[in-house]
Amino acid sequence: MKSQISNAMLLAIIINIVYAKAIGVTQGIIARQAGGDMWIVTIFSTLFGLLIMSLTVLIIKRTPEKNILEQTKLLVGKWGEKLIALLMFTFFLGAYGGIMITVVYHLMDYFLPEVPTYIFVALVTIVGVYGIMKGVEVIARLAVLGVFSIIVLNILLLLGSLDYFEIESFLPVLRNGFFNAVEVTKHHNADWAMATLMVAIILPMVKQKEKWMKYSTKALILGGGFILMWPILEVGVLSPEVAGQYIVACMQMARSAEIGLFVHRYELIMVIFFAISALIQVMMCLLCASISAKHIIGGNNLNFLLIPVAVILGVFGYWVVNDHIRAMDLLTYYWPRVAMPITFAVPIIVFLLGFIFKKKLTKGNLDAPS
Amino acid sequence: MDLTKQLEQDVFVRLKQNLDEIEKLLGNSSDVVKRDFFIMNNNTFEATLIYIDGLVDETKIEETVLAPLLNNNRDLQFLSELTKSEEIATALTKKLLLIPSINKVSTFQDVINELLAGNTVLFVDHCVQCFVLATQGWDTRGIEEPQSDTVIRGPRDGFVESIRANTALVRRRIRDPMFRLQSLQIGKRSKTDVAIAYIDGVVREGLVDEVLERLNRIKIDAILESNYIEEFIDDAPNSPFMTVQGSERPDKIAAGIYEGKVAIFVDNTPFVLLVPTHFWTFLNTSDDYYTQYWMGSFFRFIRYIAFIISLTLPSLFVMLVSFHQEMIPTPLAITIAAGREIVPLPILLEALIMELAFELMREAGLRMPKQIGQAVSIVGSLIIGQAAVEAGLVSPIMVIVVATTGIASFAIPNYFASVSIRLIRFPILIASGVLGLLGFATIFVVVLIHALSLRSFGEPYLAPVFPFSSSDQKDTLFRAPWWAKEKRPADVKDEPERESENQKPSPEK
Repeated sequence: MKSQISNAMLLAIIINIVYAKAIGVTQGIIARQAGGDMWIVTIFSTLFGLLIMSLTVLIIKRTPEKNILEQTKLLVGKWGEKLIALLMFTFFLGAYGGIMITVVYHLMDYFLPEVPTYIFVALVTIVGVYGIMKGVEVIARLAVLGVFSIIVLNILLLLGSLDYFEIESFLPVLRNGFFNAVEVTKHHNADWAMATLMVAIILPMVKQKEKWMKYSTKALILGGGFILMWPILEVGVLSPEVAGQYIVACMQMARSAEIGLFVHRYELIMVIFFAISALIQVMMCLLCASISAKHIIGGNNLNFLLIPVAVILGVFGYWVVNDHIRAMDLLTYYWPRVAMPITFAVPIIVFLLGFIFKKKLTKGNLDAPS
Repeated sequence: MDLTKQLEQDVFVRLKQNLDEIEKLLGNSSDVVKRDFFIMNNNTFEATLIYIDGLVDETKIEETVLAPLLNNNRDLQFLSELTKSEEIATALTKKLLLIPSINKVSTFQDVINELLAGNTVLFVDHCVQCFVLATQGWDTRGIEEPQSDTVIRGPRDGFVESIRANTALVRRRIRDPMFRLQSLQIGKRSKTDVAIAYIDGVVREGLVDEVLERLNRIKIDAILESNYIEEFIDDAPNSPFMTVQGSERPDKIAAGIYEGKVAIFVDNTPFVLLVPTHFWTFLNTSDDYYTQYWMGSFFRFIRYIAFIISLTLPSLFVMLVSFHQEMIPTPLAITIAAGREIVPLPILLEALIMELAFELMREAGLRMPKQIGQAVSIVGSLIIGQAAVEAGLVSPIMVIVVATTGIASFAIPNYFASVSIRLIRFPILIASGVLGLLGFATIFVVVLIHALSLRSFGEPYLAPVFPFSSSDQKDTLFRAPWWAKEKRPADVKDEPERESENQKPSPEK
């Protein structure tokens, strides 16, 4: 695969693909299940993400010119490739539902309650397809702007909320027990899984493979840091009980933030600055689902698959978000059960297959066209 | 015989045949001047000078061509001994003609090209070649201050309509032996002179070849202005963004060449093109570099704000007032509502009408003679605006929003870039009025993705911000002092150093 983006751009994409959903919708669910420990859950989950990301980078480094699906084909043949591609497609299909919940509910619940749901889904999907058509490099440049936006948003929110911060809300620490905190990480793990599985697909497009590990690790730490500010503020300012009452907890945080009379109710600021991160999620999810579909079908031209895949993901996304209760049930109870096995199983299986069929990763095989 | 074959013919030995052929090719155009004479008034060598009236310097012809060739007092002995055409040619070029530049041509194609370019052609009977005498000279506008790109501090000279005068204006600023000018002609019928300029060793590798290749690809009958070239070499021909910069300022073009860019001069226009172009350069002025760097940076920062206002203010206003009133602070919301109380139009329509009215006034003011144009602007903006508010057709705050947006767009130094931003404003405005925040965000992101995908001669259009280049940030949002800008832009590989290190002035110890 042709090198197209730099490691710094990869870092920006990783931060963006996790941020938008992780600060709001995910934190609301975590608040309901882990209470005041939501910030600890976020830290644990970031550590899990770090582990899986390192494993993913190690896997791709074995065949730097091939993504995880092409490597699987090399190891166990085309049916193995199709199986993994199907799992990946399923993951990105489900993840698209989560992303739609994030994007649509931010806009619909707080700004445009009378606009039909399908308009949100259709417009967001169309913009996503437009971004993919312009190429990964353009998405990566947009992601760099997304990181600037994230930094600005975090600073503004910090300035607007610190007056109401109460340290007592954090006590007692690990109030629901260590194992509960670990178990609840599944919600945020599913967010990090978007990053790790995306990296498994796009890493061969990144230049300078010797820096892959350094930058992906850095992205996890920076992204984790940017996200961690939110549960800390949500606990310290809103309190976990209040944060848990809302589907989009971050918007409630934003609504209560203010700097003087004229910079009040941050919802608009929040949406403006987090929109790029949300759109990066949409674009990368569509792109990775399309690449997975290409490997399932066995075709060569990605462009032909973009529109059908966008339609499938869009229709699924619409079905998910059209009913708030269904959306939150799916995201809270069913999505982790689907996402967790794929998140851990795909990299571990491919890693082990690489050990078993080490001989197939010889130079001659690596040079063969995929 | 068709025209192409006629042009490809070699010139004849006999003068009469040549003159007949020229007449066939040029017709009986009234501005074609033929001057028959005998060299040294000796009946042996009959000759004719041909030139186009108005394109030549007649004084030069008289002093450097006719006077020496008709001078009876010189020794004619050697002339009578000449029999071969080569000898005649040598005698003319080396002994008789005083004009500094003489070329010999042998086809009618070359003869016609040179005549139409303003040179004089000398035909001599019995000579198999003819002589092209560089006598170009026509009336041109004097060098004046540019109409666009005006500055408070800095040079006042601007490009004119003569390509040679323009290249000289830049050459005066770049006394570097590595400065290169390459000329070509574009336009099947206009044969417009085009030249590219760059500094060898500073220009990015491959850029000159790329520019030449794109220029050579142009097949058109006439080039009348540099925009013709711009549209043919543009990386994004369907984009509202400009990926080629045009300027009337020689200092701006010279500065671009020093930064590794290529300038494209086109005859008959004062607008010189510069490639590659980055979006941010449209927000910079020459003043930024000629005033103290704090001031330069401050004014640049103001222009960035003006750009954001120009692009988004009406859309944000319409979006907030139509859909998201709760986002407006209460006292301000009450003031806006009070102003709109008697306005019968929906806010989107009100904004569109006001924006279009503003554009109308701007266009009318621009096309009218200067004094009347100013009157139209004043009448339009003050009297009609005031009357519209008093009649309750528009709200006062909408007048403020539209006027602020208009003024902000005028703060963008490059007029054409400012127009392109105004064009983009309309779809964002309509989307905001129809779908509120969703519409605004959708169109804004589409525009952003489009801008991010653009390239100008291989370089990202939004560089050095996207992709981010830390070393080039000294001249993007802020203008660093000259003593801190040690290196040229990052894409200049061969000679990256602009100045010596540690030049920050400090009091002597």
